[in-house]
Amino acid sequence: MKVLLSWVREFVDVDESAEAIGRKMSMRGLALEGLETAGSDALLDFDVTANRPDCLSITGIAREIAVAYGLPFRAPAARLAPFAAAASAASGATLPITIEAPELCSRYVGAIADVTIGPSPPWLADRLTACGVRPINNVVDVTNYVLLEIGHPMHAFDHARLDGPAIVVRPARPGESIKTLDGKQRTLSPDMLVIADAAHASAIGGVMGGAESEVAGGTRRIVFEAAWFKPQSVRATSRKLGLRTEASMRFERGADITAPPLAMARACELLQQIGAGQAAGPIIDAYPRRYEPARIWLPQPRIAGLLGMQVANDEVRRILEALGFEVNAGDGGWWVRAPGWRIDVHRDVDLVEEVGRHHGFEHLPTTFPGVQQAPSPSDPRITRDGRVRQIALGSGFSEAISFAFIEARYAEPFGDGKAVTLANPLSEKFAVMRPSLVPGVIAAVGHNRRHGRRDVQLFEIGTRFARSGEERVLALAWTGLATPDHWSGGRRDADFFDMKGVVEAVAAQFDVTLAVDLPADGSMPHRVLVPGRAAIVKRGDRVVGWLGQLRSEVTDAHDVPANDVVWAAEVALDVLAPAGASTAKRAMPLPRYPATVRDIALLVDESLSAAIVRGTIRSHAPETLVSVVEFDRYQGKGIPDGKVSLALRLTFQSPERTLTDAEVESATTEVVELLAREAGAVRR
Amino acid sequence: MTTTTIDPAIGPDRARALFDEELAAARTDAAVQALRNRWIARQGSWVAAFMERLAQATPEEKKQLGRGANELKKHVEAALAGREQELAATRRPAGAVDITLPGRAPRLGYRHPLSLIRDEVGEIFSRLGYQVLEGPEIEDDYHNFEALNMPAEHPARDMQDTLYLAEPLMPASYEPPTRGRAPLEPQPLTLLRTHTSAMQIREMERQDPPVRLVAIGPVYRRDNLDLTHTPMFHQVEGLVVGRGVTLADLKGTLTSMAAALFGAGRPVRFRPSFFPYTEPSAEVDIQCLRCDGVGCPVCKRTGWVEILGSGMVHPAVFEFVGYDPDEVTGFAFGMGIERVALLKWGVEDIRLFYENDLRFLEQFGR
Repeated sequence: MKVLLSWVREFVDVDESAEAIGRKMSMRGLALEGLETAGSDALLDFDVTANRPDCLSITGIAREIAVAYGLPFRAPAARLAPFAAAASAASGATLPITIEAPELCSRYVGAIADVTIGPSPPWLADRLTACGVRPINNVVDVTNYVLLEIGHPMHAFDHARLDGPAIVVRPARPGESIKTLDGKQRTLSPDMLVIADAAHASAIGGVMGGAESEVAGGTRRIVFEAAWFKPQSVRATSRKLGLRTEASMRFERGADITAPPLAMARACELLQQIGAGQAAGPIIDAYPRRYEPARIWLPQPRIAGLLGMQVANDEVRRILEALGFEVNAGDGGWWVRAPGWRIDVHRDVDLVEEVGRHHGFEHLPTTFPGVQQAPSPSDPRITRDGRVRQIALGSGFSEAISFAFIEARYAEPFGDGKAVTLANPLSEKFAVMRPSLVPGVIAAVGHNRRHGRRDVQLFEIGTRFARSGEERVLALAWTGLATPDHWSGGRRDADFFDMKGVVEAVAAQFDVTLAVDLPADGSMPHRVLVPGRAAIVKRGDRVVGWLGQLRSEVTDAHDVPANDVVWAAEVALDVLAPAGASTAKRAMPLPRYPATVRDIALLVDESLSAAIVRGTIRSHAPETLVSVVEFDRYQGKGIPDGKVSLALRLTFQSPERTLTDAEVESATTEVVELLAREAGAVRR
Repeated sequence: MTTTTIDPAIGPDRARALFDEELAAARTDAAVQALRNRWIARQGSWVAAFMERLAQATPEEKKQLGRGANELKKHVEAALAGREQELAATRRPAGAVDITLPGRAPRLGYRHPLSLIRDEVGEIFSRLGYQVLEGPEIEDDYHNFEALNMPAEHPARDMQDTLYLAEPLMPASYEPPTRGRAPLEPQPLTLLRTHTSAMQIREMERQDPPVRLVAIGPVYRRDNLDLTHTPMFHQVEGLVVGRGVTLADLKGTLTSMAAALFGAGRPVRFRPSFFPYTEPSAEVDIQCLRCDGVGCPVCKRTGWVEILGSGMVHPAVFEFVGYDPDEVTGFAFGMGIERVALLKWGVEDIRLFYENDLRFLEQFGR
């Protein structure tokens, strides 16, 4: 709300500078958003919160300033009330007003005036311009001036263009249409309220007037309107028509139902003052639903109880009365009635806020809430995800955070065909809730590759969405070198086993052993992966994720440069390591007897998987065989076609004694013979 | 180093000056040896040539120039020996490595800046005895709006534009409320939560007072991407409920949080505002980090930047969850993680947080 300081000073004698007023009022609930000097005057732009439509006016803001500085406020009501009362009391109405929908329009004040249309005097036009309202003609300008000054929207009809002439406030008829002041023809529906004459709609109540009854150069007699419309109804109409006006904005937030006679009196006074015309009859007040302000009980201890600071009783009364509340002392508190413009005040806490804000939050002490019991435990996922993050970071992956909504075509290959989609996405790019975090990390890989990064390792921990619910997952993507480039050499591209190692390290963090395997039914591990370079990840019988090389169609879609090999993995963390699972551990004593190591090299069929070799050994080996590790695998020169040389390191150890060479030797021989028999292995 | 022979016609004094210049540049054993050959070797050196030339001189000249040549020879020998010693002292022992070659850096990833702030805030409140929570990102209307005192027609809904699901989901599990006004039937999940405040309601339904928590996570609004808006961002929500919790407690808590996040000397201002689910309501500003309060475009020339909204829990909210507003009071606050990161690090474009450009991510630490 932009207010001219000179205009404000008509209602309160504040002699502080505009800057000082801005600073002070920011601490009283009216945050200063901007400040312009306008000649010797200043234009203050206050951010008025949604609960305070009364401050969308010069007088509303002047009243707040008066309270903040402890100065008297010259309420326009004091000057205009006798005028309004006299006019209202006059009988012999010349304008019949009928309200058919008192629920939606609970008050309608009308008056007839004879006018001579012309431009407004410069002082008035200049004020409107400064506050962002374009001057039109003296009559329309008067309604806008009253709107800005008192905050109550008004309207003027050309009396000659009203059929009847009469005012009928009624719901629109089905299919009824009206050409509004902006020149557009609008079709109305029966949930909208119109101001009609005897025959047609001449305005949309609280939103905009009709072009048919517009006040123009030839207008000699007008009907002024100052009414009260139900906020919800005005909001719905304004939304439906896509039509927001200064009037609708105020009515939908809640106008002051006690203000229409005052606004009317001010308009008539102003009309006369600028020589634009004068009232031709009494002010007619149709007021079918009288407003009764509620009485609110404010217990004195409630103030300190809520604020944590003491405010003297005199100060409580001063603040509330200066704001326009009616205050009566009761037993241990006050009975308070809110003025009509304070539609936001309903309960004691609302009054406490008024007291606190004008006493000043700067006077609040800084204390801390007392502790009555030990804090409840935090979400165990936070610690779990933190441990996953450590492994990913330590493995060279940087952390990505992506939008949770993605383009449908990116989601499609990762989903089950039943994606969670948005009804009103910002654009096609953000239409579907991600069924996987991998598309997001691939997009990030593409971005970094296009910006000159050769090696990219990224991970993200976040939520993926399915119709069955939300799930926390880890996604990884890796392209480029396996280790940083170094002058000492050892340069090698990342491969399947780099990614597999990271996934296993994450699982090991939670003492979980994963199986990296192919689906038992012979299907492909995942349709985004290159066959033969892909696997599923299982914990026991449950599939927790997948890993492998992304197909080029998938990386191409995200503009990853062609020929890039991108490895990706996704792991469902809630399955891998359910948050809050018991982490009870017992320490193992260190072995008391030394281990003995034997290396064997075998020639086996290249189609024989390491898992089968390992499994064969494990199924027959003595208890003293504590570990089997493949430490070399070689094909090529010296190895027959179709064969592979596999080197295994066997470690033997007993918790009871030192094993003899002979024992270890015979156990090793047994293993070799077993492999020869079961797997056709030949020792090299 | 030049290998041309030196004109023997120059006298010992000029020769000495020339030698000293050359010596200054001799930094290797080979260079020292070359100097020796050039100046004093039995053959082909300056001294040798000079002596040869001297043979034709008068005895008087021989005596004087001969002495000069000898002195030069001694000077050169001593200087070269000295330099050789210096070089020997810096010579690498056998098997030495060139310690000036680059080290083999372990490849360690970088934390996302939002993740760092999230942890920092979680840490601050853990120290103050708060439980740290996360919650569902798809919500029902009741928890996101209605129980937060924002009924269907409430103007506050204008303040946030919500993203709705095309087809509602039913929650996987549902525990009917034991108190308060939550619907007895499971509610369809219809929207992406617009604030973490939805967690206030969920937790008050689940826990009896006292409550002391922060909830952190992504939230969604229908905002177009620009320098200061993204349709998804992160929030931290705080809630404390108990007997005798006051606005002064809120001010103390948030002031200390701001000091922890932005530095203890940073002025903080606590000023009245409005939110439908708090009464009284307050916003917290910190003095602009760019201009230190002088006024600049970042703070719209006010010297202050807003960091969060807060207030005393509205009694209507307590009634929704079945707490007695005459028995307990509470405070709540909500702060944007991105906003903190933007201010703290002087990031000028919020979209950078979602591009995952490594040149950006690598600036904030591990």
